[in-house]
Parts: sequence; C-alpha cells; structure tokens
Amino acid sequence: MKRLEMGTALAALWMASAAGAEQQPLADRPAVVRGDAARDAVTLPKVREVVLKNGARLLLVERHDVPLVAFSARVRGGALGDPLGKEGVAALTAELLRKGAGARNASQFADTVDGVGGALSVSPGRESLDIQGQFMARDTALMVELLADMLLRPRFELAELEKTRERMVSSLVAEKDGDPRGVIGLYFQAFHFGEHPYARPTGGSEASLATLQREDVLAYAKAHLGGDRLILTVVGDFDAKQLAARLEAALGGWARASTPVPVAPPTQPTQGRRVLLVDKPDATQTYFWLGNTGISRTDPARVEVGLANTVLGGRFTSLLNTALRVKSGLTYGAGSVVLTPLQPGPFAVSSYTKTESTAQALDMTLDVLSRFRQQGVDAAMLASAQEYVLGQFPPTLETGTQISAKWSELAFYGLDASDVDDYAKRVSQVEPARLLAAIQRVVPAPEDLTLVLVGKAADIREVARKYGPVTEMRITDPSFAPPRAAPSP
Amino acid sequence: MRRQKCFIASLMLLAGTAACAQGRAATVPAGAKTASAAATAAAQVRTRTLKNGLKVIVWPVPANPSVALYDWFRVGSRNERPGITGLSHFFEHMMFNGAKKYGPGEFDRVMEAHGGRNNAYTSEDVTVYQDWFPRSALETIFDLEADRLGHLAIDPKVVESERGVVYSERRSSVDNDNSGLLMEQVQATAFVAHPYQIPVIGWPADIESWKQEDLERYFRTYYAPNNATLIVVGAVTPEQVFALAEKYLEPIPSQPEPEPVRTQEPVQQGERRVTVRKLAQAPLLQMAFHGLRARDDDAPALDLLMRLLSDGDSSRLHRRLVEEERVAIQVTGYVGAGFDPSLSWLLVDLPPGGDLAKAEALLDEELAKVRTAGVTDAELRKAKNIVVADFWRHLETNDGRARALGTFEVFHGDWKKLFGAPERYEAVTREQVRQVAIKVFGQNNRTVGVLVPETDAGEAKQEAAR
Repeated sequence: MKRLEMGTALAALWMASAAGAEQQPLADRPAVVRGDAARDAVTLPKVREVVLKNGARLLLVERHDVPLVAFSARVRGGALGDPLGKEGVAALTAELLRKGAGARNASQFADTVDGVGGALSVSPGRESLDIQGQFMARDTALMVELLADMLLRPRFELAELEKTRERMVSSLVAEKDGDPRGVIGLYFQAFHFGEHPYARPTGGSEASLATLQREDVLAYAKAHLGGDRLILTVVGDFDAKQLAARLEAALGGWARASTPVPVAPPTQPTQGRRVLLVDKPDATQTYFWLGNTGISRTDPARVEVGLANTVLGGRFTSLLNTALRVKSGLTYGAGSVVLTPLQPGPFAVSSYTKTESTAQALDMTLDVLSRFRQQGVDAAMLASAQEYVLGQFPPTLETGTQISAKWSELAFYGLDASDVDDYAKRVSQVEPARLLAAIQRVVPAPEDLTLVLVGKAADIREVARKYGPVTEMRITDPSFAPPRAAPSP
Repeated sequence: MRRQKCFIASLMLLAGTAACAQGRAATVPAGAKTASAAATAAAQVRTRTLKNGLKVIVWPVPANPSVALYDWFRVGSRNERPGITGLSHFFEHMMFNGAKKYGPGEFDRVMEAHGGRNNAYTSEDVTVYQDWFPRSALETIFDLEADRLGHLAIDPKVVESERGVVYSERRSSVDNDNSGLLMEQVQATAFVAHPYQIPVIGWPADIESWKQEDLERYFRTYYAPNNATLIVVGAVTPEQVFALAEKYLEPIPSQPEPEPVRTQEPVQQGERRVTVRKLAQAPLLQMAFHGLRARDDDAPALDLLMRLLSDGDSSRLHRRLVEEERVAIQVTGYVGAGFDPSLSWLLVDLPPGGDLAKAEALLDEELAKVRTAGVTDAELRKAKNIVVADFWRHLETNDGRARALGTFEVFHGDWKKLFGAPERYEAVTREQVRQVAIKVFGQNNRTVGVLVPETDAGEAKQEAAR
C-alpha cells in the first residue's frame, strides 16, 4: 500500500469530531476557503430523544435507505472504574457481556447473532464501555432483546471468565510478537501518565489480568453497570415511535449503578524529557512515539488543534511525513495523533525507521516540531488544511454505524449537534494568529517530551541516551509500565 | 503481504455478499427489498469505453457530497519474475512521485489542497489507485490522474529514496511481524511454478536492485489505458465524468496487450511443510490450500464454507479450537480469489507455549468432518445471512460501492454480476459446499507452516556480559 491507515485513522477520528462551540462569534468574518466546502457541509440527522426513569438516554434516528439498523451504546465508567492493580477488569467484564446473557449461554448467544448475519462488538474504553451492533432491519426486535440481555442479564459464568481471561493474556503476548505499532501507544501512555489513571492499560496487562477473579467482575458490574450510565443511539430502518416503546420496555427496568461515575483528575503536560526504551532484541527497525499531554474533547481550541495536527502529521503531505518519508526515505510513514478523552490526552508523534537511522529520524522529528512551534502555518498551508479537513469530513458520516457512534459520542461529552453542524463554518473561519496560539499552547515542545522507543536495545541504547534519562524494559515484561527504578545513568 | 491479502480477502467476501432473495422471503420482506434495491442501483450505473480502450464506470449517488474514484490496473506480482519481484508494488509508490505538469510531491499536495485524499494497494493480480474527494475537486482529480498516466517521470534520485520507504514497509509488515513473515514463507512454498509464489512486497535483494530500465519498461507495458478500468461513485453525473474522461484521459495512447501469464500451477501431489524458527513468545500455525479463481462457479460455495468455518464466535473452527479445546487464541480464514487459482488460508494464533501438534490435529479433524459429513442447513442459512448483511454494509458507502463494482468488473468480467450475486449465493446447496470442501481442503493440497518460538537466552547472556 502507499501507506497504512492506522495513524491517519486516529487523526481522522479526531478531526471528525473536532468542531468548536465556545469560541468567539466569527460569523461576520470572511471565510478563507472556497464556498464549495461550506455549501456541501453535512449536518447530523435529527434525533428523537427519550430519557428513561432510570436515567438512560435513548437517541433514535430513522433512515430508510438500506434495510439495516445500527446502534451505539456507551456505558459511562469504563476502565476508570478498574481498582488499582486490577487493570483490565472493565475490559474482561465487557468481553463477558457477549459470553452468555439471559436465556442463552455463550454458544447460543453467538449462534443467534451470527445466524441472522448480525454484527455485535464490545470495546472496553478508558471512560466508557462501548457496544456497537448492526443487524438487518427485519431483526430489530431480536437486536433489542440481545442488547437488553447483555446489559441487564449477563451471566458471567466462571468457565467463560477463565477462558476469556486466559485469551486476553495470550493476545497481549501475541501482539508483542506482531507489529510493534500495535502496542507502542500502550507503553507511551503508561510511561507518560505515570500515577494518573490514564497511564493504566484499558485492556489490562499480563500481570494484572492474571489476578482477576469472578468476584472482581461481579463487583465491577454492580458498581459500574446501570441504567443511569447508558447512552444508546439507534439509527436505521425502523419506526422511531415503536422502537422507543420497545426499548423502554426492555431497558426501563435496569437498576442504577451502585457508585458514582468515576472521574479522572485533570492531566498536565510534563516538564523536561525522559525516555523509555523497550527492548525487542529481534527488531530490525526502531518504532517511536514522542509527545506530551494535549487537549480534551471539549477544548475550546479543538478545531484549531485539529488543523494543527493535520498540518503536522495528520495527512500524507504533513510536515512530518514530508520530511521523514517523502524527502528522505527513512520510513514508510510518519504522523501525529491527538487523543481526546474527558481530560487532556496525549498529543504524540509516531514513526519508525531501520535501526541504523534511529538518531537521524529522531533528530529530524525534533527539528520539525521546533520549526512548527516557532513558525506555525502560512496562509497557503492553512487554506490547504482547511480544504482537506472539510473535504474529508462528509464521508465520516455516511453510514448508520457512523451516525449512531457520532450521536453517542456527542452525548457522552455533553456536546450537541452544533459540534457537527457548525463544523464547516468553524474550520473555514480559523485564522493564522489563532492557529499559532493553539500550536504554541498544545503541540509538544521539544524540550518537554516523553519518548518511547521500541527496538533492539543493544544497538540503540547509546542513541536513546542523547534524548534524556533512559528507563529500560523488555518487551517480554508482563506489564506496560516500566519497573519503578531510577533511570539508568 | 498480510494486509493486502486481508484486503483482497474482504473483496472476495464482498463477492460473496449478496445472498438473500429467496431463503426466508415468505416471512422476511428484506429479501424482496434486496432484489428490488439491487435492481434500482443497477439501473443507475453507466459505462463508456474510450477510444484508447479505457473503460469508465459511473454510479451516481447524490446523498453525500463526496466522490470515490478507483483506477484498477491489471498488474500485480503475478506479472513479475526473479530479479524484478516487488516491482508492481514499487510502481504503486512511484505513481505518486512526479510527472510532467505536477512534479515530485505535487500530486498529493494539489489533491489535498482541494480536499482530496488518496491511497493505493497492490495484490498478486492488480494495482489499484483510490482517490476520495469532495465533488468540487472532480476536474482537478482528472487532471492529476491524466498527468501521471500520460507522463510519469521516473527520476533515479526519487527511485532511491522510495526504495527506502518500501524497505521500511517490508520491515513493518514482514520482517518485524511474525505472522507476516510466516505467510510469506508459506506462500512461497505453496507454489512451485506459478508467479503467485512471489511476495507482493518483493524479496529483499530485488527491492535493492530494481533498474531504471525495469521501471520504464514496466510502466510502458502495464500502465496503459487499455489495461485499466476506472470506477467513479458518488456526487457526480455520468455525463460530467464521461466528458472529463474524454478530455483528460482519452488522449493517452493505448499499448499492445501485455504478455499473458501462461504458467499454470501443476496439481499438488502431497503436503508441503515449512518451519520458521524465530525469537517469539507465541507459536503460529498456518495452512494454505490451492483454491479457486474468482470467476469459478464454485467460488460462492467456497466463500460460504470459509464463513461457516471461521467467521464469528459461532464458527466451527473458533468453537472447537478456541472455545472448547483452548489450543488457539484466534482462527482466521481468508479465501484468495484472483485471476488464477489462488490460496485459501487458515491462520491459527496459539497462546505462548501452545501445542502446535494438537492445534494441527484438531484442525485436521474439523476439515475431515466437513469433507465427509458436510454442513448443516442452519450453518448454510447462517453463512448466507452473513453474506447479505455484508452486502448492504458494503453498499452503504461510496467507497464500498466503488470497490464492489471494480471487483466484479475486473475479476468477474462484468460489474453487473455484483447485483446478480444474491441469486448465485442463494442457489448454493449443502452438497456443493461438501464437494468444494473435498476439492480444496484435502491434505495433499495443502502447505502447512509453523513458526516455532526461540527464546532470547543467547541475547540475554550477551546483555549480561555487556
């Protein structure tokens, strides 16, 4: 492939969700970009919203273009509800929701979903458990039944729990044998956020998963699953009034969770530099992330930060990809990602290069960062980034699955449709000075950086020391956090 | 390459997507809806073949103000030979590196400045260029595509730089990824004569030694309008697209038809095995079977069979190997479906310390069961239902529609077959599924690959001595 989509997918995810709400009104200023993009701006279809007595929020959108129904459920809490040392309990609980619920054991549940050609997935997130599904419209009633069984009547059978836990451990090990791009972000967050809950792996680690018992899962479910935690959006080929009644009957009896929603304390950018070196002795390439704390999903400057990320590392002609790939051939890809949870998450640059050119690629990356923070973006580059962001936005809201996920996301973060509907206008009105201010506030400063390198330590240990005090661990260590020890000299 | 294989596999799945019309039609209105909606969609598609042989297919879909463009070239690693392996994929990269009007880097710069994005992929059979853009950029996109197709510059300095990029891609997807590494070895072992033996990314020594004249000859031979098919789907009208295609692309001259690939893989006479020993924590087991070409009549039956073997938690292999016996953490199945008979894959990821012999024995047992006892009505119904739901999932987006049309036009010879797929899948019987299991999933027809972990004890000693 010309390039893989991984880095850009994250960036696009962010850009797709980047619209402003709290900025100064700018409606009377002239738009910088052509009128086409603004004219072709997409808006979210309206929802019918129902709030149940237990606090569950239902958002329904009728669409009749294809005979499908998609839903996106978010249950607040997520891995933030994991007790210390029990990382992964939310993820294990989430996995088990599909492993037997209501009248069906795990095998019958799978037969039922697959038998009608349904799709049903559970993603344990940092701050919510997310369940997504898509069924043929003819199976809408079955879909509601399965969802209600999962949420209200999970079985959490011991045998399924043990199997699932074992498989989660093995999968983490297998991922470490695979492409390091799949795991490097976990090491980065663990090292960067230190004692903060954002450091903890949402899927757990080999060490923490091994300790989990059925009572841990039951305790998590009692504390963190409940009607008051639910946001559910359904989009597709149905009658909204009928479906609302059906959902109310199915979910209205779900008790409230027994504890308040866990909230992460604020995060801050860190000062100075430090390096984590993860030894993968067979690697012929060094994979790296470097970055710092960025912004939250509701940051007032999120449109500007989205544009800044586009220019720096969010598209093929970005500054990073141009320097490290197009002009020097050091790598197959270089980019940047902005993850935006409820508190500011990481803003990180990522790339990889053959072991021998590790220092060259890192120096070049730091150079690009420095220049970007000093110089910002010129008028032509800003116009290009605006056009790009605007042009790529409409295809992110094509399908029922995309629209249901978007509505649930907005509701989760306390945002409304204007986040999408005013997006084109907001993007068009960004000006260089405001963009530069956002860049200098949010883009990591080269002197204040967390660096994570995954590669052959024997060959890059000395290189790593150039960039700050080094902490080392091995890829085979059963945790993503380094052992608590003083940095090596 | 692993990801490219996944992608082609998903195309084949799509090729298998459209069952439903009869089945439970009496009680389920979706069946009738599928047939009529497919007919409506088919009526909207327009085609035109330009004087230089380029076929243009347009599906206007006004719902979203964006457009997906796919340009398919019938060239892949199948057209390579020793010394120039990986060249098709390398060319995929070079097509972004400068032409006459738009110099190095300009293709991407101009496209992105107009709100567009692009990518491309190469398989054993085809190289495909994809552009996704707002409708306002339509003419610019044609100008860009015409420039590189008509006047590609192949600058030796750029070739050197791009070689580094491709080598980095190889390190990521093969050398530093155990599953990718094993797949490359299995594929190279499964074929003894046919160029499907060649990895799409190319062998390392060849990546380092492509010559300027290799590139120039390759471009002339394969990047001709008569060797391509252009698909445009989205907020456009056919008239608009045909007019732009005539203005920008028709002046590009056609070329003599490329030499056909004549080699056919001889029938395999017995199992082949390959072992990779490598630093790792977990072992891997892979099996590749010589299968079918995309347009074989049995392809839908094979697709349905693979789905009920490996698609979802209810599938036979997942249930037996992962849930019941716990010898694997994941089983993945892919049906390759190219111009020539292609490999069908079963990939088994084991836990650390996992028992390779036991995993293989269980896999053998399950495949033997399906060869002798066949499959149940419920399983076949399930596979057909998955296929129809996937059909609609793919047709929800301009991108999915463009892929689907291109797949059927290029691999099946006619885009219209996309809309006839429901009937073809619905017609598959249990006996056909059993027959295809006998034909494909036999022990004499397979290559077994294992990755055996080696510990890093030696490395650890060196570290301690440091």
